[in-house]
Amino acid sequence: MFKEILKNLITRKPSIPFPEGFDIPPEEAVKIVSLREKIDTIFGRSLRIRQVDAGSCNACEWECTALTNPIYDIQRFGIDFVASPRHADVLLVTGPVSRQMELALKKTYLATPEPRLVVACGDCTIDGGIYKGSYAVTNGVANVIPVDCYIPGCPPTPIQMVLGLHELLKKLT
Amino acid sequence: MERVLNKAIKIKEHLNEQYIEIKKDDFKDACVYLYEEKHAILRLMFATDERQIDGVFRIYAVFSIPGIDRFFIIVLPLKEDDTTFPSITPDIPTAHWYEREIKDMFGLTPKGHSDLRRLVLHDSFPTNSHPLRKDWNITESDLKEWGEGIKQKEPYKFMEVEGDGVYEIPVGPVHAGIIEPGHFRFSAVGETIFFLEPRLFYTHKGTEKHFESMRLFDGVRLAERVSGTSSFSHSAAYCMAVERIAGIEITEKAKAIRTLLLELERLYNHIGDIGNMCAGTALQVGYANGAIIKEKLMQLNERLTGSRYLRGVNVIGGVTKDVFLQSNDILSTIDTVTREYKEFMKLLLGSVSHIDRLENTGMLSKEIAQKLGITGVAARASGINDDIRKAHPHLLYDMLEFEAHTMARGDVLARMMVRAEETECSISIINTLLESNYAGALAAGINDIPAYSSSLGYAETPRGPVFYWVMSDKDGKLFRVKLRSPSYCNGPAVPFAVHGNIVPDFPLCNKSFNLSYSGCDM
Repeated sequence: MFKEILKNLITRKPSIPFPEGFDIPPEEAVKIVSLREKIDTIFGRSLRIRQVDAGSCNACEWECTALTNPIYDIQRFGIDFVASPRHADVLLVTGPVSRQMELALKKTYLATPEPRLVVACGDCTIDGGIYKGSYAVTNGVANVIPVDCYIPGCPPTPIQMVLGLHELLKKLT
Repeated sequence: MERVLNKAIKIKEHLNEQYIEIKKDDFKDACVYLYEEKHAILRLMFATDERQIDGVFRIYAVFSIPGIDRFFIIVLPLKEDDTTFPSITPDIPTAHWYEREIKDMFGLTPKGHSDLRRLVLHDSFPTNSHPLRKDWNITESDLKEWGEGIKQKEPYKFMEVEGDGVYEIPVGPVHAGIIEPGHFRFSAVGETIFFLEPRLFYTHKGTEKHFESMRLFDGVRLAERVSGTSSFSHSAAYCMAVERIAGIEITEKAKAIRTLLLELERLYNHIGDIGNMCAGTALQVGYANGAIIKEKLMQLNERLTGSRYLRGVNVIGGVTKDVFLQSNDILSTIDTVTREYKEFMKLLLGSVSHIDRLENTGMLSKEIAQKLGITGVAARASGINDDIRKAHPHLLYDMLEFEAHTMARGDVLARMMVRAEETECSISIINTLLESNYAGALAAGINDIPAYSSSLGYAETPRGPVFYWVMSDKDGKLFRVKLRSPSYCNGPAVPFAVHGNIVPDFPLCNKSFNLSYSGCDM
């Protein structure tokens, strides 16, 4: 372990390159850095997200999972995904909300303690996206529970998700 | 085959598909003959509502015999007033979900099926309402009641296990991790799972019906969004079906690009899956390593196509992007990934506690896998040598040298090792593809699409083969699309694999199958 760290220091092994979107202008970069402060003031050091799949194609879920990988490492902002809505500040909903998930989503919403926020993630959460008009979907999360913030994209990239969460917190202050 | 062909009322040939229309009395006999005498695999089974064309419903059972690149499709026409058909499930257990689905969506009852509970549609969906019938409609209040889920119009009865010390654990549909929704009802004795009944189809989005409102050319976008991590294979299979209807021959170049991207999709999925299995055994370092390599491949996808999930590339007649222009980028990324992947596997195989958890966990015997019609990685891990790239060669697969990797053990470790071997195989296919030049334009010209004609399209997703059966109508729209993702076949395998395991090993077993509920639920 120590040998490995020492080797890294000596050889200056290049770190994993950030994807293109991360080369954002300095101002934007500051926004990301101050995300932590925002969370500190509003939620007291942490923001806990409960992710609910309401009929998504699973791409949004994988991008949420990617947020916790060592490259994006969203925990460093004080944001993390939790196992129960009871522990959550934010419900992150994906999918056009299929009729057969409607009740489960409502129940999850009611199980989340106030103050709770709802982030709708992905194009289909806005109006059903490609599934708009199908008999088995409700054409968007807002038709089922109140939404505070949308993160568009099909699926949104992990960077877009970080920026989206930041926008949400900015609105609150 | 004579025995079946002699009884046919109509035979139609189209490319490698042979449609054999048969009378109701001979239907079961023909299917059982193919299954038992010819050892054919039931690839998919579905119904269509062709009443507006010639006044009948039709049931299609698509078989393929190992070693023959040909689909034998037994077709059973049913008059409008005759809504029952002989169930083949007692002889061919693979059909059990297909027949229940046909009952839900068309109201055609499989006579002799032992389990006629609803499959796709949940309790509060109105009774005697069948979405895929052409004359179907539903009122706003019914839709509202369906979503609210309070009035149970056709209550679902879970199977109950009785006996000393048996207790039930209901899990889901909202789970603890970032995963798709599904309900699992465990009947456990202490820690040991005695019986598990999954209740899926929570993400049912009416995809097949939704296709029917679209033009053939727009269907690609929906096919891409059926199952997120298999976006490319789904759209490739859909495009293939439409191209086969229209008689479009795609260029060598488009074939090469599709093959390359199919393998890139397999690569990021397999490495991600191997990493995810580590989350099931709490080997965090393995999980993190897998995630890093996967992320590198996703970023390569984004640089190549603008989409991390390879969306927007496939179109009817070819592809939109020439990824061979970036072959240097692909080669250098694959090179790095290969090196890191080898280190990663060394770490995993050297971790005794990890391997110990995988060994003998989630056993699925070859016999059960065969009966249930398990497919893809899960089937190959149980010793069934079936890979659609080999069985029905398409794109450039007949020119490439590769093997279908099988393992005999059928446990979680076997499913990991099949993925590991296929990863290496995909890497070598990608490298081989990049060595040559391919001629032709990106997309071929489009022909007129004949009315009411149909064809199959297929591709090997990272989970197993996906099938699209597409039928056009007279206005260039889709008349009927049947899609069958590998997760639909493999869903029924999980209860058999977890039987006798402990409850805490369930997530590990489930991850080793890596089902896409969205693909399954349609």
